[in-house]
Amino acid sequence: MREIIFAAALFLAAIAQVTVAPLFPIQGAVPDFVLVTLITFATWAGPRTAMVSLPIVAVFLGFAGNREPGLLILAYLPLLPLGLFIDEANLPFSRFVQVLLTAAGTGLWARLVMSAGAFIGGAEVSLSGLLFLVLVPGLFLDILLVTFAYLPFRLMGKQARPMTLQRGTFSG
Amino acid sequence: MVIFSRYSWWVAAMIGLALFLTAAGQVGILGPFQNLFLQAATPVEKAFDGIFRPVASLLSDFDDLRSLQEENRQLRLENEKLQNRVTELELDAARVQELEKALEITQSDTSQQKVAANVVSHDSSPFTDVISIDRGSNDGIQPGMNVLSSQGSLIGTVTKVTPDHSFIRLITDSKSKVNAQVRDTQVEGIVKGGPNRTITFDLAQAEVKVGDVIVTSGLGGNYQAGIPIARVTEVKGTPQDLFAEVKLEPLVRLSTVQTVLVLTSFVPQRLDLDD
Repeated sequence: MREIIFAAALFLAAIAQVTVAPLFPIQGAVPDFVLVTLITFATWAGPRTAMVSLPIVAVFLGFAGNREPGLLILAYLPLLPLGLFIDEANLPFSRFVQVLLTAAGTGLWARLVMSAGAFIGGAEVSLSGLLFLVLVPGLFLDILLVTFAYLPFRLMGKQARPMTLQRGTFSG
Repeated sequence: MVIFSRYSWWVAAMIGLALFLTAAGQVGILGPFQNLFLQAATPVEKAFDGIFRPVASLLSDFDDLRSLQEENRQLRLENEKLQNRVTELELDAARVQELEKALEITQSDTSQQKVAANVVSHDSSPFTDVISIDRGSNDGIQPGMNVLSSQGSLIGTVTKVTPDHSFIRLITDSKSKVNAQVRDTQVEGIVKGGPNRTITFDLAQAEVKVGDVIVTSGLGGNYQAGIPIARVTEVKGTPQDLFAEVKLEPLVRLSTVQTVLVLTSFVPQRLDLDD
């Protein structure tokens, strides 16, 4: 049952990315619902769930938006290694800030990879456009959306999970 | 790199899967799966669109209230001018017909076949602007066909077709390039999409004025000649400049388009599409 709910959420996230997100742009950037969904899964359901979810949602989004699923996998790939790195760096920040840092880093990487894909595909290269229309507003949107997604779980009293893979346990 | 060693097998598997999916996409293995997915997704896409588009319109209209009032006033004036122009053109057309009859000129068949379709998704980023529609190869749509708004202005080109769906690259996509000309002066140039869904009229070697209407020139064979594309909103540059910087605004608000017409009677002569 849990797996069906997760699969449905991934399906809806991919569809929302190509229907709802373009309706609410800031500058040129649009909200990244797929990233928010993956961060939410990794934080509250555990890294194993995110590991399985990433390729599935990449394929869904690739099909819905006619994008390269392979490129989308590479775009969201740093999520778990970066989350683990931030976990283990013993930074003097709360868990919430650590999740925001993970989202910000992965979001920047994802937008860079997708823009690079567009440039390689023939789009005119514009570094100022990349910085001011994609990365900066994208960063703002990612932090805003992850905050909105994080707070309800905290208000329900849930504890965010670490990104560490634990041997012999099932967190998904 | 302890971090990567813990996730190394997973990262390696994902890179392998990414390469496999890219290769599979290139040879078309994913096509049937994509079609199945789109069939399942279309009702959900329509539902999302029905719920969120009015919200977005409301926010947008609230934001643009003052400019909309001014635009409305301008449009009324323009509408009046156009009504007069239509009357003139109708008279001209009747006269041309009479002359053609008198000269026994056989008019070529200019009828256009179009397929109407609903927009089901709009995938947009600062460098890409792609929509999908609920018609595909089963309806006679082929890659490269021109896509028009319901008012008849160019909005893009079909880039990929599945049996029941098609993907359209809009003119605001930064990969889009359309050979075009100024309608009244025939000054030629290229309408190019730029970052953040902007469009420009490049390489125009003569004077272009604000308000000029740009239409397809038909050069290159990818677009039918004479389709209206956009209106000039800004011209920058001095007479010494070889090319002025000409900014355009599409004749239709592309973000709110819900119905499009695919021009099935025009099959491009040359295709240089990359997907």
